[in-house]
Amino acid sequence: MNFKKIQFDSNDAQKIYENYLKQIKSATKKLSSDDQNDILMELNSHIYESSIKKEHSSNEVTNLIAVLDKIGTPSEILLPLVAEKKLNQATKTFNPVHVFQALALNISNGIIYIIFFFLYLFLIVFLGLIPAKLIYPDNVGLYYKKDVMFEFGAVFNHDQNRPYEILGNWFIPTIILIVILFYFLITLMLKLKRSLNKTKISI
Amino acid sequence: MNADFIEKWQSQLKKGTLSFIVLLVIDEGELYGYELIEKIKAKTKIEIAEGTLYPLMNRLKTDLLLDSKWVEQETGIPRKYYLLTDSGKRTLEEMKMQWININNVIKNLL
Repeated sequence: MNFKKIQFDSNDAQKIYENYLKQIKSATKKLSSDDQNDILMELNSHIYESSIKKEHSSNEVTNLIAVLDKIGTPSEILLPLVAEKKLNQATKTFNPVHVFQALALNISNGIIYIIFFFLYLFLIVFLGLIPAKLIYPDNVGLYYKKDVMFEFGAVFNHDQNRPYEILGNWFIPTIILIVILFYFLITLMLKLKRSLNKTKISI
Repeated sequence: MNADFIEKWQSQLKKGTLSFIVLLVIDEGELYGYELIEKIKAKTKIEIAEGTLYPLMNRLKTDLLLDSKWVEQETGIPRKYYLLTDSGKRTLEEMKMQWININNVIKNLL
């Protein structure tokens, strides 16, 4: 289904309307193109139906301003919808860019999203062990000696520990594997949290 | 009477029953967003803001209670109609039963 602009007789009304469309596009630009189009078409239909069914003054500009005022500023009224659709997209695609955008949009929707943010942040810090291993190969690794030591990550008394490093060249692949595994686990938890979400509405 | 308390309580009641009201009204026949707002206003005097309605419709769709379809219009501006799914119809029947139960419980207390 294609989007069709409403045509106004007055140039001023057309300008106001097109400016409003731009605000809708700007408020939804982080979503997939299907979602952007769906929201644009639905609000466009809402503007059209409100304009023709409400008895306003005969002035087209006054009518349109009243209709748009009643709907509200796109960046404000679309925020909950965009935040929700973004979260849907993020948990469906597992794309890290969508995940971080979704968390940023939902950060005000509860402490749980801040916790998720820190979980993902922890993964990034964990990835930092890879360059650390490349720069300080002797100080980073998995050091294990039965009943004596079990250390993982960066250690400083490496002279004493060095003989007990057991991963060697497998350290970096292991880190990558752990990060991928936890990334999927955390994102699955986010998905689960979404399905447990209760409808958040306000009148 | 504590007017502040009543106001908050009324707001909570509206929030708690809004999805029920939306499902009940759509059960009478498929509707598009603007029509739904107008119909709810006419039937209940509750005025739902657009910024409240559309996220709610999205959530009800995610929960598979509602479906939607775009319908071309002669005007060239298509409408997005919402309708109840089979799961939505069954859920609404259960919600009605629970509402009647709660109503009876409160009646006994009054």
